[in-house]
Amino acid sequence: MATKSDGPSNSKYITMVSSDGFEFVVIREASLISPTIKAMLRNNFSEAKTGRCVFPDISGLVLEKVVEYLYYYHKNVNVPYVPDMEIPVELCLVLLEAADYFQLDSVTVGTAFRSMGDTLKF
Amino acid sequence: MSSRQSRAQRRAAGGIVGPQSALTDFLASHNISANQIRLDAEARRRAAENNPSGSGEQQDEQATVPAAETAAATATADTQDDPASTEQLGRGRHSTGADSQTEKQKKAQKVIDKIKASKKFQKRKRKDGDADDEDDIARAIFQERSAPLPGQMENCALCKKRFTVTPYSRNAPDGGLLCSRCGRDLDPDDGAPKKKAKRVSAGAGKRRQIQSKILDGDYHPGAKSLMTLCIETLAKNIHLAEDLNNLAPQVIDKIARKLSKQRLLNSTTLNLFLQPSAEDVFIYDAAKLTGDDFIRIFQLVPGLRKLKICNAIHFKNDIMDYMLSRHINLEAFYLHGANLLSESKWKEFLEKKGQSLRSLKVYWTDKHFGDEVLSHLATACPNLNRLKVSHNQRVSGEGVKAIANVKSLQHISLDLRLEVHPDVYVSLLNGIGVGLQTFSLARVPDTDNTVLDAIHNHCRSLQKLRITDSELMTDEGFVRLFTGWENKPLLFIDFQKCRHLESAQPRSNPDNIGLCSNGFKALMAHSGKKLIKLNVHACRHISAAAFEEVFSEEKIYPDLVKLEISFCEEVTDFVVGSIFRSCPNLRELNVFGCMKVKDIKVPHGKLLVGVPTANGMVIDGDD
Repeated sequence: MATKSDGPSNSKYITMVSSDGFEFVVIREASLISPTIKAMLRNNFSEAKTGRCVFPDISGLVLEKVVEYLYYYHKNVNVPYVPDMEIPVELCLVLLEAADYFQLDSVTVGTAFRSMGDTLKF
Repeated sequence: MSSRQSRAQRRAAGGIVGPQSALTDFLASHNISANQIRLDAEARRRAAENNPSGSGEQQDEQATVPAAETAAATATADTQDDPASTEQLGRGRHSTGADSQTEKQKKAQKVIDKIKASKKFQKRKRKDGDADDEDDIARAIFQERSAPLPGQMENCALCKKRFTVTPYSRNAPDGGLLCSRCGRDLDPDDGAPKKKAKRVSAGAGKRRQIQSKILDGDYHPGAKSLMTLCIETLAKNIHLAEDLNNLAPQVIDKIARKLSKQRLLNSTTLNLFLQPSAEDVFIYDAAKLTGDDFIRIFQLVPGLRKLKICNAIHFKNDIMDYMLSRHINLEAFYLHGANLLSESKWKEFLEKKGQSLRSLKVYWTDKHFGDEVLSHLATACPNLNRLKVSHNQRVSGEGVKAIANVKSLQHISLDLRLEVHPDVYVSLLNGIGVGLQTFSLARVPDTDNTVLDAIHNHCRSLQKLRITDSELMTDEGFVRLFTGWENKPLLFIDFQKCRHLESAQPRSNPDNIGLCSNGFKALMAHSGKKLIKLNVHACRHISAAAFEEVFSEEKIYPDLVKLEISFCEEVTDFVVGSIFRSCPNLRELNVFGCMKVKDIKVPHGKLLVGVPTANGMVIDGDD
């Protein structure tokens, strides 16, 4: 990230805000796992300037789980045996939507491979 | 004391003798009485019972002791011997010895009185209804309490094994005593050994699971994606899901794959995927679906454009009839295992619905998808650009020739069982080779260099090329194909098992049959820059020198993700190391049967599959 300017744009943390006003302060590095957040924090978007990402469609309950996942993933990068994170059954479908929104589908797959999949797909 | 008594009794019983065991007979012949031994043991037992009476009784009372089973067991054991002794024993139990008889009787009476006052007695009495003799019940309880004492043998209440009772023997939850092993397992405080065992087994299972995933090709170090986690949870609780309305199509597709993998797709769960607004229905396992379910697809999804059904055994003529009667114009149709669909129905389908069809894939048909159907394609399907016929037992050269008339085709993939002469493929390439992007011929032992030359001469936009199991193509042919070819670099190449087959002299290959060193060099020179997947499985005449030249220090293959070089005999540790150096984005390298690969350090995040180490078949780069 930018190193010159001071203030929130290069802080180690960012803030994620849910639709019902819950705020989660997350390590920037962990949050960048999500391509969606990564894109928000790039360039001159207001999120990049303030370090504050507001998600008006996502409730605090779901966002909490997403943040938990971001940390869980961050902690376990390249660990060979990772126990699965517990997903509450009642949140399963909303979390699926959120996973789609944050593009947390196949984080580790190389981009070249993915584009290959697209070209050769049925 | 009792010995004299019993002998007398026995004589008095007048020779009424029950069945005797061989051991008893043997002992009798040596003038030893088995009965005598047993009775002596009984006497000793009784003595032991009475001596430490105070403490013993207390213990017994505290622990809601003993097993009716035990009593029963002794009883049955007794009845095996002669009735006289049983009688004797019965009496002996209550009236304990001649000397201290009255005293003991008093004591026993005391205990029995105690029992009569106890709750247990009252309960038993109620249960047995109006059992008239209170004394009998009380006595029964008294007998039950006289459990086996330390030093005696007893059957374990759980595992039924015989063991020696010790002061430390534990009580079973429902009466009886436990052997030391069962007792240990029962103990709630001492859970350590159990836990330990569990952890060990979980670790082993995990490792196997990961290895199996690596071989499936979907292993990534680190945590699973959130979507995968959610989908797995969903699959576990699919019965709770009512609909998947708000989800994106690609997410629904992933769910469908997961459910099918676990064989959870049935008439009920199918409903989740049949949304009226959907355009695609992909069913990866239709084995549990019936004809009615297929009809429901066409009823509930009126805007259907892409239909994929695997294991579509029940996709029969009447279902095709139903589809033909609806306003459904498929763009893509993928049918796997529909053996009951007749040839005439296929033709009817193409005639009526072929206009919109852009992709047709038919897998695993025995008899009913043949040349006639393929010859209809040219007239019926003007927009068809993708055709795949796999595991087909009917299509012959005639049908393949007919494909050449479908000028719109861009992707052809054939895996036929009948032999087709190479000339047929040449004429196919003559006809439509120019526009082809995919050309895949699986298991074609008879194809030769003429096909390669035809590809070289006609194909200009090829991206994916597969020719497998050819036994006639030569190294020279591959060199001619790739040198000076006016085709852009390929993305996908599969020349699996294009090699010389001669069992008498497996090592010598005088005519350079198959993909050998020069062909491999030419291939990488032409396509290496863009290649994503390369399979040269069992092309065993590629030399180590060729590998070293291709993967030398200055050459970089940036896009290569998966490389399969199994059974290429010349591959060494050095070659594998060079490959990792030259392919920065490589994810998986397969080296099954490369016996010269022995000790290799795998870079971080890469997979080397197929090294026969003690660890298993896979080394996962973790440093």
